[in-house]
Amino acid sequence: MLIFLSSMLTNTWSQVERGSVLIKNGTVLTITKGILESTDVLVKDGKISQIGKNIAVPAGVKVIDATGLYVMPGIIDAHSHIALDVINENTNAITPEVSTADVINPFQVIIYRALAGGCTVSHALHGSANSIGGQSITLKHRYGTYDPEMMKMEGAPRTIKFALGENPTSHGRRDGLQPQTRMGVEFVIRAAFTEAKAYDEKWNTYNKNKLVKGFRGAPPAYSYRYETLGDILKGKIILHCHSYRADEINMMLNVCKDLGIKNLVFQHTNEGFKVAPELAAGGAMASVFSDWWQYKLEVYFSTAYNAAILVRNGVVTSINSDSPDLIRHLYHEAGKTQKYGGLSDEEALSLITINPAKQLGIENRVGSIEVGKDGDLVIFKNHPLSIYGVPQITLVDGIVRFDREKDPADMRIFADPKDALDVTLHKSGHDNDNCMQGTEFLFGSFDSDLD
Amino acid sequence: MRGFHLAVFVPFVLSAQEDKELVPVSSTYAITNVNIVQSPGRRIDRGTVVVKNGLIVSVGKSVTLPSEAIIIKADSMFVYAGFIDGLTRAGVNKPKDENKDKVKDPGNPPPDKAGITPQTEVRSFLNSSDKALEELRSIGFTVAQVVPHGNLLPGHAALVLTGGSSTDAMLISNKTALYSELTGAGSVYPNTILGVMAKWRELYKQAAQAKSYESVYASNRVGLERPVADKTLEAFYPVVDQRMPVLFRSEKLLEIHRVFSLKTDLGFPLIIADVKEGWPIINKIKSSGAKVFLSLDLPEELKKEKEKKAETRTPAQVEKEALEKRKSEAIANYTSQAAKFQLAGVPFGFSSMSAKPKDIPSNLRRIIAAGLSEDAALAALTTLPAQLLGLSDRLGTIDNGKMANLVVSDKPYFNEKAKVRYVFVDGVLYTIDVKEAKKSDSNVKVEIEGKWSTVAQTPQGNTEGKLILKKEASGYSGTISGGNLPAPADLKEISVEGNVLNYKYTLNFGGQPLNIEVEAKVDGDGFKGTVTAGQFGSFPIEGTRDPKK
Repeated sequence: MLIFLSSMLTNTWSQVERGSVLIKNGTVLTITKGILESTDVLVKDGKISQIGKNIAVPAGVKVIDATGLYVMPGIIDAHSHIALDVINENTNAITPEVSTADVINPFQVIIYRALAGGCTVSHALHGSANSIGGQSITLKHRYGTYDPEMMKMEGAPRTIKFALGENPTSHGRRDGLQPQTRMGVEFVIRAAFTEAKAYDEKWNTYNKNKLVKGFRGAPPAYSYRYETLGDILKGKIILHCHSYRADEINMMLNVCKDLGIKNLVFQHTNEGFKVAPELAAGGAMASVFSDWWQYKLEVYFSTAYNAAILVRNGVVTSINSDSPDLIRHLYHEAGKTQKYGGLSDEEALSLITINPAKQLGIENRVGSIEVGKDGDLVIFKNHPLSIYGVPQITLVDGIVRFDREKDPADMRIFADPKDALDVTLHKSGHDNDNCMQGTEFLFGSFDSDLD
Repeated sequence: MRGFHLAVFVPFVLSAQEDKELVPVSSTYAITNVNIVQSPGRRIDRGTVVVKNGLIVSVGKSVTLPSEAIIIKADSMFVYAGFIDGLTRAGVNKPKDENKDKVKDPGNPPPDKAGITPQTEVRSFLNSSDKALEELRSIGFTVAQVVPHGNLLPGHAALVLTGGSSTDAMLISNKTALYSELTGAGSVYPNTILGVMAKWRELYKQAAQAKSYESVYASNRVGLERPVADKTLEAFYPVVDQRMPVLFRSEKLLEIHRVFSLKTDLGFPLIIADVKEGWPIINKIKSSGAKVFLSLDLPEELKKEKEKKAETRTPAQVEKEALEKRKSEAIANYTSQAAKFQLAGVPFGFSSMSAKPKDIPSNLRRIIAAGLSEDAALAALTTLPAQLLGLSDRLGTIDNGKMANLVVSDKPYFNEKAKVRYVFVDGVLYTIDVKEAKKSDSNVKVEIEGKWSTVAQTPQGNTEGKLILKKEASGYSGTISGGNLPAPADLKEISVEGNVLNYKYTLNFGGQPLNIEVEAKVDGDGFKGTVTAGQFGSFPIEGTRDPKK
């Protein structure tokens, strides 16, 4: 099985589109190695090969003039659901065997819009309907490909989605099954791992006995579900846990400590500020909203200072979107932490670059501008944290995937002939007010009542 | 008209008491003076084909006719080998309404509730008198690969004839493939493609493990735990052994990718069928060795609107034109799919699963217009599916010794005005009625003027109305009142063709306009027909003329 997978890996690696480009004379925000004024960045075959002044143009390599512009690493969104056809397999509280890697849709136009917002990598997560949800996939926004395999970030570590609180318990209450309360969520998770351990032991025993000469015996039942849970216990999968309240965050920290799970990232974590020292001590990371709360009871007690407090307490923190809208301006979301918390430019930009890279285990590939890293870059007009910041060009693996100067009206890759013609330009001019369009039926019934 | 001529005079005896089906006079037929297309590129002009006892016994320019042969004068007609359909559900009954009890644990449902019944054989559901089967046969299909109804793993496919005196007589080959669709179970696990993909992998691995242990056990059973029988997993054993392919219905591009992902992970032999969006990955299909059946369903052509002059076009119109152009290009991708497969040298058959039989001849013409050669189209209907399904020794061409599956059309099949006249299935002759399009008997004149009382039968109960029709100088006018109408509504588009009455009117339904259409056959003082209420569906309607005072 492993041989199978690694051969698939080399296949994808060799087929990914990679480009070469020389970005000249920009203000390079490396994130990890300071700010470099009037500096060139050379990308060769998809990798950053040189950073310096006056780099000679290699033959046949395209040049982008970044004079007066800012160059930063491609933005990474650690919590997203774009480019997926399905988000939740919500028929069971435990579904670690499913994977969003199976339902990638490379044709969603939102991928292009994310690129227009400078976002080059997103963590395509399973939803939060289940206590133990599905495995998730880290995507590179290679918009233009027809092949869902090409959207996968080759070599990115495995991740999985867990969920605590109102979302998984509401499904339990709907079906009359566990979990229906926060206590139930903890139990469901602990019980699943206990069963997974028992499964592992059975297989370890069988595999050991198999080697003994003359052994005759039946193998244990095969369960894709317990295999995956076992992989989490063995540290092969990064656990991303949807959570809001401080009590459940604490609970999960304890559960992971008991089970020896070290790779842990809390998602949303609106009350993370209350347990910031505990998160840091437990080695857990946090991926949060900039200022989104009170859309349900468990998100009541929140603050826009959340990210800053977590950072100041030594927790590796990122800001995510969990939204097809916010993914288009994560640079402004990061900027909010400068008003609410006084984070420095570098700290704020880290929230959308190197920190989410660490949370996805891809910090050796992306998240900063360093020689050897992937050519995932965004060229901004004005500083990204400025309200006037606007992405101009976005590159993935050295290929320009978005260029504000060359932005056609119809960016669909695969037009579905059954789609209705969506004409966006209606009658121009103000003789006809379109604000109430489609609401005529609300006024029809009034007429007849007046008869 | 019909070239039917009894060569032999046979006295027949009718049993007075029983209504016994008559044994055919002869099972030998001679189709004479017909243009024979033995296979694409092999043609005999004005020759004869003789079939006897279900087999083709002679094919040639001048052939001695057996004395018992029933002669079919097919002057200037064309005969082809009967067409083969790679995937359809024509001739397959739906299972009876299962137990609709709610599943207690939706995460762990019994396999049949999860759509996992791979052990089912379509043989148990065959119906030789299914109307859909007759429709397929009438356009020239004589063999089809059929599958059971269901979701993820409905069961095994079988190769059947599109006709026969019994379901056993229909069957050519049982359990030809394990059928599957990436369809969720509805409200239990696996509900979405996420669960479906994981469940497929798990079932296959469990089956491979169970099969392996069963052979270990069989070789020496003493001291070993007895393997428990599992009919779900057993259905996979021939696939694990590479002796049986998996027949996957995969219409859309991403579906095909996901099916290939399963094939890559698990390694089973694969047939993809009802493929609509295969053109972006022809190379992947070619290198995988998977067998292909392309869909005969096509998206509707875009209605061309009059082009507006450049000066009068608003920005919205410019945008609309660009979108329409894109849509036409998208539709062209679907119609030219087969041509692209031909160009890439990937053999394929066709599947009628999502197509309406009455659309298939015109869809084939669209596919040919988009670049597939006529020879390639005929091959995809005959020789290639025979090859892909292992039937080449007895089907797919008109040659001595092959099964008598033939289709005779009055003009070359792909000609726009061609009509299928005869179809032979396993040597049994089916004469196809060539109906004219008119539904009405144009000779009958009916009187529709006057007052009528109508009753429409809807699920909410019967709705009554009063219809008044008046003859005008040109056409008719009328009103409808009663029912849901606060005031009488004017009728629009009243027409009478022969004895068929058509009229339309608009209701105000909660502020939204709802178009009502009635079409009914008039017989004296009554009419019977259908009323269609916009998107709410069609219901029976009857009218009775009010007695004249």
